[in-house]
Amino acid sequence: MIFGLDALSLVLILICAILALYIKDLMGSVIVFGAYSFLMCVVWTCNAAVDVAFTEAAVGAGVGTVFLVSTIYNTRRVDTYRKNRVLKQLFMFLVVCVVGSILLKTITDLPHWGDAQAPANTHVSAYFLENSIADTHVPNVVTSVLADYRGFDTMFETCVVFVAFIAIFALLRTRKIPAKDLTPPHTPVDSLIIKVASHLMIPFMQLFALYVVAHGHYSPGGGFQGGVILGASLILLAISYDFERALEYLNEKKIILFVALGVLIYAGIGVICFFLGGNFLDYSVLSKILPATDTIMARSHAMLGVEVGVALTVMVSMYGIYLCLSSNGRMDKGI
Amino acid sequence: MIGFFSGVGIFLLLNIILVFIRALKGPTVIDRLLSINVIGTKCINLIIIAGIIFNRLDMFVDIAIGYGLLNYIAAVATAKFYHHNKTLVPPSGDLS
Amino acid sequence: MIILAIALIVLGLFFFFGTSIGILRLPDFYSRAHAAGKADTLSTILIILGCALFHLHQAHYDLASFHVMAKLFVIIGFVFIGSPTATHAIMDAASAAGVEHWQKKKDKK
Repeated sequence: MIFGLDALSLVLILICAILALYIKDLMGSVIVFGAYSFLMCVVWTCNAAVDVAFTEAAVGAGVGTVFLVSTIYNTRRVDTYRKNRVLKQLFMFLVVCVVGSILLKTITDLPHWGDAQAPANTHVSAYFLENSIADTHVPNVVTSVLADYRGFDTMFETCVVFVAFIAIFALLRTRKIPAKDLTPPHTPVDSLIIKVASHLMIPFMQLFALYVVAHGHYSPGGGFQGGVILGASLILLAISYDFERALEYLNEKKIILFVALGVLIYAGIGVICFFLGGNFLDYSVLSKILPATDTIMARSHAMLGVEVGVALTVMVSMYGIYLCLSSNGRMDKGI
Repeated sequence: MIGFFSGVGIFLLLNIILVFIRALKGPTVIDRLLSINVIGTKCINLIIIAGIIFNRLDMFVDIAIGYGLLNYIAAVATAKFYHHNKTLVPPSGDLS
Repeated sequence: MIILAIALIVLGLFFFFGTSIGILRLPDFYSRAHAAGKADTLSTILIILGCALFHLHQAHYDLASFHVMAKLFVIIGFVFIGSPTATHAIMDAASAAGVEHWQKKKDKK
């Protein structure tokens, strides 16, 4: 752990958070919150947690900021609240003090930093670290724990992303414009410079995202990070060109088809393992149908298949959520 | 060599604090957007410097590439917002 | 080779110091955008170039370090295209929203 960089970044994060709460303009808060996410990624990097840093960069700094900006575009710019709320503020302050002091007391019960006898380092983690290459031939222990040893959790995480997209779609999608529409009048923006730069960057973004998905066994990455970058490339297409042009490439029917297809791929691999005689998501029995693999390499290949399913769901979810939020459900014009 | 790169990292972070003061002071909200864009580009450098200190640069380079792309997307999306909603300073003042 | 790498990194830091002073002290939004767009991109490119040469020297010029150097050049390419375009987008939006230009105050005699 690099102590100097870590401590300074944490101080800056604290200043960012206080500033984001202090600014009245909601756009200013969102922008400073983007900086919060950037610096958080630096903190994770200084602690050598690279997969977490990648996910934080992709989701918080990139796509999260775009979602918040789309929401402010369709709602108000300034927070509206009643004038005299001193009693409410006093009550909230008391709640924060009580809960905060309980949490601070609990910190003294945690084990020391890097303690070899801590519960997180003794029970199953030692088995994972020692046997990951022998069992699955995958050097990146984060990916092997995520997709093989704890495959159930990742399947339900994919389902959570799926349900989030379906919920936003079901709540927002509308075919008639409501009476009180807060969206400002839409001025069409046509900028040649941004179009050309996006022309150059979008294909390389998608190629890089496919590399991140496929190379998740050996370097930081995996299905989730690659899926978010793929979704971000589609969002860039929607921003630099028109909304309708992006809808031509991937319309609503295809979005709903693909988001279900990703979860189907994941659960489908588990069910195939059933039919071949093993447990659910027990990848080693797949060596019976995959040509020229033994049980160890079958686990490695099945992990790749599962990551492809996760990447597909996450890509289409990010893109679909952006479409719903930015056009307020109408799917005709956005930010 | 590790000392030199730690010094480089701390110098970068101190300069980021200077840029941050503009984010605090900036009379319009677009000044804040400009300074946060600079901070995002500098975080790419910080990740690579952290990679050199850990002596495992091959792991950290992928994160830096992803970072550069996402910084661009966030800046372009937030900038396009101001074509539609032209209020730069809200009527009740900026800082509360 | 190490001296070249350290020289590039120090030059990059010098330009970034200029960027931060410029963003703080220049009087107008449009002049700050000059500092943020151009000098910031140049300092990023120089620092990454210096780190690439340093890594090449540190790993004794074997094949894996050339692979890493190629990826660092990809980062340089993305920052070279993306960062000035983002600054252009911000300045375009500010001009459309009506940020005023700075006028030099006339001397009072």
